[in-house]
Amino acid sequence: MSESESEDATTGTAEEPTAEGLTAEGLPAEGPMGEELLYAYAVARDADTCDAALEAVGGVCDRPVRTVRHLGLAALVSPVPAADFDEKGLRARLEDLPWLSDVARAHQRVVDAASRDCCVLPLRLATVYRDEAGLRRALAAEREEFGSALDRLEGRVEWGVKAYAAEGAQGMQEAEGTGETKGAEGAGGPEVGTGGTGRSGGSGGSGGSGGSGGSSEGSAAPGRPAGSGAPGSTGSTGSTGRDYLRRRGAQRREREERWRRADDRARLVHETLAALAEGVRLHPPQDARLSGERDRNVLNAAYLVRRERSSEFTSRVGELAQAADGVRLELTGPWAPYSFVSRDQRRGDGGAGE
Amino acid sequence: MSDRTVHGRVELDRDTVERDLMKLVLTVVELLRQLMERQALRRVEQGDLTEEQEERMGLTLMLLSERMTELRERYGLSAADLNLDLGPLGPLLPPEPPE
Repeated sequence: MSESESEDATTGTAEEPTAEGLTAEGLPAEGPMGEELLYAYAVARDADTCDAALEAVGGVCDRPVRTVRHLGLAALVSPVPAADFDEKGLRARLEDLPWLSDVARAHQRVVDAASRDCCVLPLRLATVYRDEAGLRRALAAEREEFGSALDRLEGRVEWGVKAYAAEGAQGMQEAEGTGETKGAEGAGGPEVGTGGTGRSGGSGGSGGSGGSGGSSEGSAAPGRPAGSGAPGSTGSTGSTGRDYLRRRGAQRREREERWRRADDRARLVHETLAALAEGVRLHPPQDARLSGERDRNVLNAAYLVRRERSSEFTSRVGELAQAADGVRLELTGPWAPYSFVSRDQRRGDGGAGE
Repeated sequence: MSDRTVHGRVELDRDTVERDLMKLVLTVVELLRQLMERQALRRVEQGDLTEEQEERMGLTLMLLSERMTELRERYGLSAADLNLDLGPLGPLLPPEPPE
């Protein structure tokens, strides 16, 4: 029973990326062993010369990258084994994270190299065609869309900006600060009761001010305000529960206030940068468990910027990062305009930035 | 392990069934604890409780919170583990201010 349930769950995940991450058209149902398919990385203009940059770059599976030209367009491709990249093989491989990240890295390597010299439209990861004829058919079918996207994106690069509410660091500083205040004044005021006090009282030297019993109590009951157990505090020994509620209330208000500030700040950053950009794409905030970031991601945006305005854009990000109050900024790029290839995405989110 | 945390999915496995069940139970209890705490704070703010009622409620919530921490530690679970990813709806529990 339990095994069949977990099996269902696994197949469930295998299907998700297939529906979303892959281009279905041109994807062969199944290929015999030993056969090769064409992996397509990006589309550029035929007139543009990306060839020189590509000579030094290995594609997926370290195979050389070449261009297939058709109807004024050029697709960057390399051969890949059908066993891994046909529909069945790919579905199995999507569970294999090291393999997948190798493919993603190779994909990005090729797109980056090509975009250094010319405008390229990155295709989705694992876009595969059976052969050149299939690829040519796809180029012909989407010729107009590719053309208009190239017009739109020529001479532009993508910059990624993420903002994190620097909660971890700030929280620590506040905890320390509170401990010092307490040492100096020793009163049981509401500020003193914030989260860090109990902890620093239990482990650090500042607990000494709360009386000899303070440190042992601090470790046994971390939720307890250090002041309440100390002799000579306001005599309200019976108000532990009320203290707890007050403290939790203060912590909640403080956190909400901090979040509000971080959100305001992120909005200001976004509005400032969106004014310098031709296109804006707001991505969902990154999952802390995937990014390994402890701090909450309050902005995850991509900006389409003219190449010649890039230095203006990056220095503006630098200024914002300097002034950032409680928010940490992270700038990446310049990238090929990954987020702006599809017009729908641009239209859908561009409004939010303006 | 990482797969489990990434998807926030409860998987039943013979070796980890106790811990996983505990995780599920504690997640539900934690949800209720947070709701009760919020409700208590709201009522304190409104001022419709006697001091004695506030004290009793606060003490109960404090003990519950301590007990939760103990149980979590016993099963090697972090506060973030006691959450379920509801996909487009976001996480089941909002992030809590650190105690």
